[in-house]
Amino acid sequence: MPPEPILQISGLTKRFGNLIAVNDVSVRLEPGTIVGLIGPNGAGKTTLFNAITGLHTPDAGRVLFKGTDITGMLSHKICKLGMSRTFQVVKAFSILTVEDTVRVGAYNRHGEKEIQAKVDEVIAFCELEDFRRQKCGDLSLALLRRVELARAVATEPELLLLDEAGAGLTGTELDGLMAILTRLNREKGVTLCVVEHVMKMVMGLCQRIVVLDAGEVIAEGTPAEISDNPKVIEAYLGKRAVR
Amino acid sequence: MENIIQNLLNGALMGCIYALIALGLSIVFGVMNVVNFAHGEFVMLSMYFTFAAGAYWVLDAVTTPLITFPLLFLFGWLTYYLLIDRTLRYRYVTQIAVTVGLAILLRAIAQMIWQAQPRALPYSMIQGNIQIGGINILTSRLIAAAVSVVAIFLVYLFLMKTWPGRAIRAASDDLDAASLAGVNYRQTYALSFGLGTALTALAGGLLMTFQQVDPTMGLRFGLLSWCVLALAGLGSVPGLLISGVIVGGAEALAMSVWDPRSRLLAVYLIFILVLWLRPRGLFGRK
Amino acid sequence: MNTKQRTIKMLPLLVGLVVALIVPLIVGKNQYNMVLVTTVLFYGVLATAWNIIGGMAGQLDLAAWAYLGLGAFTSGTLLLRWNVTPWLGMILGGLVAAGFAALVGYPLFRFGVKEVWYALSSAALVEVLRVAFLMWDEVGGPVERYLPFHRASWYHMRFASYVPYYYIVLGLLLIALFVNYRISRSKLGYYLLALGESEDAAEVIGVDARACKLKALMIYAFIVGATGAVYACLFGFIHPSFFNTAQSTEVAILGIIGGMGIVYGPLLAAIILVSGREFMRANLGSSLESLYLAIYAVVLIVIALFRPQGIAPLFRKAYDWLLSRVVGERYAA
Repeated sequence: MPPEPILQISGLTKRFGNLIAVNDVSVRLEPGTIVGLIGPNGAGKTTLFNAITGLHTPDAGRVLFKGTDITGMLSHKICKLGMSRTFQVVKAFSILTVEDTVRVGAYNRHGEKEIQAKVDEVIAFCELEDFRRQKCGDLSLALLRRVELARAVATEPELLLLDEAGAGLTGTELDGLMAILTRLNREKGVTLCVVEHVMKMVMGLCQRIVVLDAGEVIAEGTPAEISDNPKVIEAYLGKRAVR
Repeated sequence: MENIIQNLLNGALMGCIYALIALGLSIVFGVMNVVNFAHGEFVMLSMYFTFAAGAYWVLDAVTTPLITFPLLFLFGWLTYYLLIDRTLRYRYVTQIAVTVGLAILLRAIAQMIWQAQPRALPYSMIQGNIQIGGINILTSRLIAAAVSVVAIFLVYLFLMKTWPGRAIRAASDDLDAASLAGVNYRQTYALSFGLGTALTALAGGLLMTFQQVDPTMGLRFGLLSWCVLALAGLGSVPGLLISGVIVGGAEALAMSVWDPRSRLLAVYLIFILVLWLRPRGLFGRK
Repeated sequence: MNTKQRTIKMLPLLVGLVVALIVPLIVGKNQYNMVLVTTVLFYGVLATAWNIIGGMAGQLDLAAWAYLGLGAFTSGTLLLRWNVTPWLGMILGGLVAAGFAALVGYPLFRFGVKEVWYALSSAALVEVLRVAFLMWDEVGGPVERYLPFHRASWYHMRFASYVPYYYIVLGLLLIALFVNYRISRSKLGYYLLALGESEDAAEVIGVDARACKLKALMIYAFIVGATGAVYACLFGFIHPSFFNTAQSTEVAILGIIGGMGIVYGPLLAAIILVSGREFMRANLGSSLESLYLAIYAVVLIVIALFRPQGIAPLFRKAYDWLLSRVVGERYAA
């Protein structure tokens, strides 16, 4: 018998006017896994994330998180339950320092007394020691993505959704990020769901991959299965094989 | 009863001028996403220019837009290059600070030149009354409203049919795509801002045929035009006209059936309710 | 070392406080100068309070004088009708203002009214209240309602001299600064700064944006409302013209120009700009009416254009430079 899913999405639909951005999507995430969500631009990945995390209210369908119905719940309540995310277009708190940004996340589960210890721990975990007193507005994109990850990690999520955390990063930066994510998954047992274009990251990290195209799930399986799936090659890899 | 109908009609006519003023604001805010808190002061300035032209050169208020329209266009164009262009990089808060500064400056200048007391022109060729049954309408209001509607229609045609108009709309839809397609955003923005400002010249001229002007007037027209814009939503020119008429009508209705002092109360209550319940406006597309 | 650094950081505050305390001893004889310094402090209180909702939470509130007027009318009416001391009136005025802020703020934040629309609806609020109080004959109405005259009565908070008012406003300023400072070092403060930058990003890491904004708005309204009670006593009457849109906007401008989210920024802006303006009003006013306003406006525009981060960072730099000159590099904060 399979374990109870940490996240179960069933029949999720989101429309913008006449455009159906996400159409009847059903996905199951097992706890402790790393799942990749891929698909061409405009396939509805970010919309799906927004609908899960409460930034959009879905038009139909349900989202169950650890057995609790979180459909249409406010984002901060979902975060309290143990789910956080990062953004494709970085939304930095540019006037805050790295340390204070992490602090905002850490307040999710900690009071004033333990806060500093938690902040220090997360900063060390995400290897941000050297930058802790810098303002986020002065950081490079790679560091901003790292800070965004750190502030989400500081909320102590059980499930973390990463929206193109690898986009725009160099090879070394990507390796560093992947190392942190792997540790996050192994040491803290955080379930990860990553939307990604960078194939190296998806193939290297994920145990299972879900492929979206035009708002619908077209394939699901292990990285090996996915890269052999003709539907996926046609919809996705076929067009993007030239890198 | 007749009194109420007469007031409502007057209010609706006034609403057409509000729509004209709001159209200028809508071009600036809708296209450039620039928050202009000095728009009402532009109206005030136009009214004073009209007054000056009328008082010193004995021009009729209706004809002054021939002079003030290009003048205000130039003023808006310069304002864009001197002030607004530099604020585009910053958050909207900076735009508000700069345009509020501009509003204070214009108010102060008006006060220095024309002093605080209200000014009015004694005569206009479109003065007079029209009687329909028991209802009495000022000719000047009727003509001012008609001219406003025609002007709104012309601007609508300009935006829909001409190349610069299309450039403005393209920039409002998607700045990046528009610049790729060869639209120079600076020129387009300056044009939009100039046009938005120049429209207040027409409104100012029309208002002066039956109204007086004082330096604090800008504030009221500024808030009123934002109300009309909020009610209409962005991107619908006919919607602006309807919203203007609603605002003007509501003003008149509150005045005649509730209390003469409550005219602004009615408008602002509508404004706040619309923001709460329908932030896109009644006719908005985004 | 650490305490030394802290002392150095607190030094400007201490110097400022000492100067503020002895100002009336120097200019106290001259009523006009007392009005000027009291006005400056007064704007300092409003702008400092505004920093909580505007600077930290990033909500461009233009309704300062709505809350000020509510406080003034609450306290003034209580004094006129039931002879309630304005000291109690201050607290009740603050509560009325905060309660009103909650009534208005809840739907605004619930329905996601943001940015320019929030600013405009708050500006409209001032006008709504002005007209409402003009029409409300029992409490407001078009005629000034004069508070009882006393040469010096602490119970009625009425004085013929401006010096006591100066110290009362100074007290309010210290409270406003202290509240600001405490918030900026607390969970609420970090939450406000975060949501002021990006509400979505703050929400997904556990920030209840609506509740935080509402708290910020209510604290701000309370301080401004309490200040309103003093304002009524200072002017000696209450009148619907207290609900003033232009002056409300000015409070926000001081907050922006001082430096958004910096505790002492709005106060700096108030000290420099308002005293500059009032000084010009006194010295230019007679020769050319409103020239001072024009100059003031140009200064506002220039600062907003060329120092969009506000003037507080400039002062910080200047102070650091001064420190490094006087006590050596290592103590410079």
